[in-house]
Amino acid sequence: MSERKVKVDVDVSHSFGALCVHDGLQFAVRENEFLCVCGPSGCGKTTLLDILAGLLKPTRGRVLVHGKPVDPKRQNISFVFQEPSTLPWLTVRDNVAMGLRIKKRRASEIRGVVDDILGVVNLRGYENYYPHQISGGMKQRVAIARAFATDADVILMDEPFVSLDQPTRERMQAEVLSIWGRKKGTIIFVTHNLEEAVFLGDRTIVLSAKPARILADVPIALPRPRNTLSPEFTRLRAQFAGLLNSAVLSNAG
Amino acid sequence: MSGHAPVLSSVRADAPQQAQAQARAPGRAGARSRWWTVLWNCVSLAVALLAWQIGAAEYHSPYLPGPVAIYVAFVDLARNGDVLGISLWTHVWASVYRLLVGFGLGVAFGVPLGLLMGLYNAVYRNIRAVIEPFRFIPPIAWIPLAIILFTGLTRYAFLIFLGAFFPIFTATLIGVARVEPIHRKVAMVYGAGKAYVLARVVLPTVLPDILGGMRVGLGTAWMTIVAAELTGGTPTGLGRMMVNYSELLRIPEVVVAMVLIGLIGFAFNEILLLLEKYLFRWRWQVTL
Repeated sequence: MSERKVKVDVDVSHSFGALCVHDGLQFAVRENEFLCVCGPSGCGKTTLLDILAGLLKPTRGRVLVHGKPVDPKRQNISFVFQEPSTLPWLTVRDNVAMGLRIKKRRASEIRGVVDDILGVVNLRGYENYYPHQISGGMKQRVAIARAFATDADVILMDEPFVSLDQPTRERMQAEVLSIWGRKKGTIIFVTHNLEEAVFLGDRTIVLSAKPARILADVPIALPRPRNTLSPEFTRLRAQFAGLLNSAVLSNAG
Repeated sequence: MSGHAPVLSSVRADAPQQAQAQARAPGRAGARSRWWTVLWNCVSLAVALLAWQIGAAEYHSPYLPGPVAIYVAFVDLARNGDVLGISLWTHVWASVYRLLVGFGLGVAFGVPLGLLMGLYNAVYRNIRAVIEPFRFIPPIAWIPLAIILFTGLTRYAFLIFLGAFFPIFTATLIGVARVEPIHRKVAMVYGAGKAYVLARVVLPTVLPDILGGMRVGLGTAWMTIVAAELTGGTPTGLGRMMVNYSELLRIPEVVVAMVLIGLIGFAFNEILLLLEKYLFRWRWQVTL
């Protein structure tokens, strides 16, 4: 296994008032690694992503990106939200270009990057469509294209496919892997869908229910494209399922 | 459950036909039914005018003119001006000019203040007691005070400003609350500052509300200018002209003024509607 640089170094605990949400979460993400974070609903996954993006300060601890405290203004961070986050008054092209424009790249460069990335997510021909004219799956593709367009240091994804139907979800998973294969990038992908986590990740972290702790940090060495029916896949999936079930039960008890 | 290998080629399958069909179908069917609506409207209008003309000719009163008499009066006014020699267009322009000045002020104050109060809601909540009472005083009620305090254009601009300001201010204020937090987050994750969020997220979200408020404000403002001119203090203006002719008991000219007032109000509304349709192509809602 190659020694890759640590891109993101996390050590946080967070509470909302008296409610402790995260309890000593510590992990590191290497450059160009695809990390999946799994956990039961309500364990604070979205809050964790907000902290990782620098939108929320943890009550204790810090997040380091490239050795420096995370700062969306100075670093390059992308976020794909659970709901379609396309700005309705912008065309597909302008939505994808948004991050690049905020970061003040040159217009000629923006044009090239946007065209290229729209090709990768199969949205060529829809550049001038408005979000209300495209489906939910396509909106998420726009959000993903936008996230990858800026060559971000970290790309955070918050259960982006949870509202899509199964066939669309499978297509989108394949697409994320494809675009990640092309453009590379360090990805932290939150999901409560175990199959998705095992299918996508180089590595999966399983969180407990509130107050969230890391129950497992498991590398997934299966070659891609992964077969969801293979015995290794099924074994890993069952392992995570067991961990999650015990997590949910222990919190309920 | 399928073991899924990457299936990129079929990704395109779902939406293209769907989106294109969606974009094409309502237009074609809608255009045909719209022509029928226009046609029927013309027919109803013609029938109504005819009935009116016949009724007026039968009743034969100088105080209830028919459409023909009104048209004749209009042509005369347009060509020769009114009894004082002031041309019709001077009157029209005088009223419109006052409207534009007052309305412009209403927008210039209403939008920024609405944005400010919307973004800093705490401030607004604490000073509402000062603002709200003014909202419910109709501009017309300000006329006596306005007559004493101001003259000329200032008086009219002031009254129109009062009519336009509150709808615009309130609509903007409410619009700010509708800004989606997720859109803000999208911008902030990329490192956008407050100025960018204001200009590129808040403003586009609020703009439809602002324009809606502007249409209401324009309507109120236009009603106010007519009322203000009725009370005197100026030789020009459609309201002024209307009063002059009513004192002379020349009703056709009075009705000409009424029709012009209505037409101008309608025209302004349509202009704003067209602006809305152009600006908000990205929306799917229907504007009224």
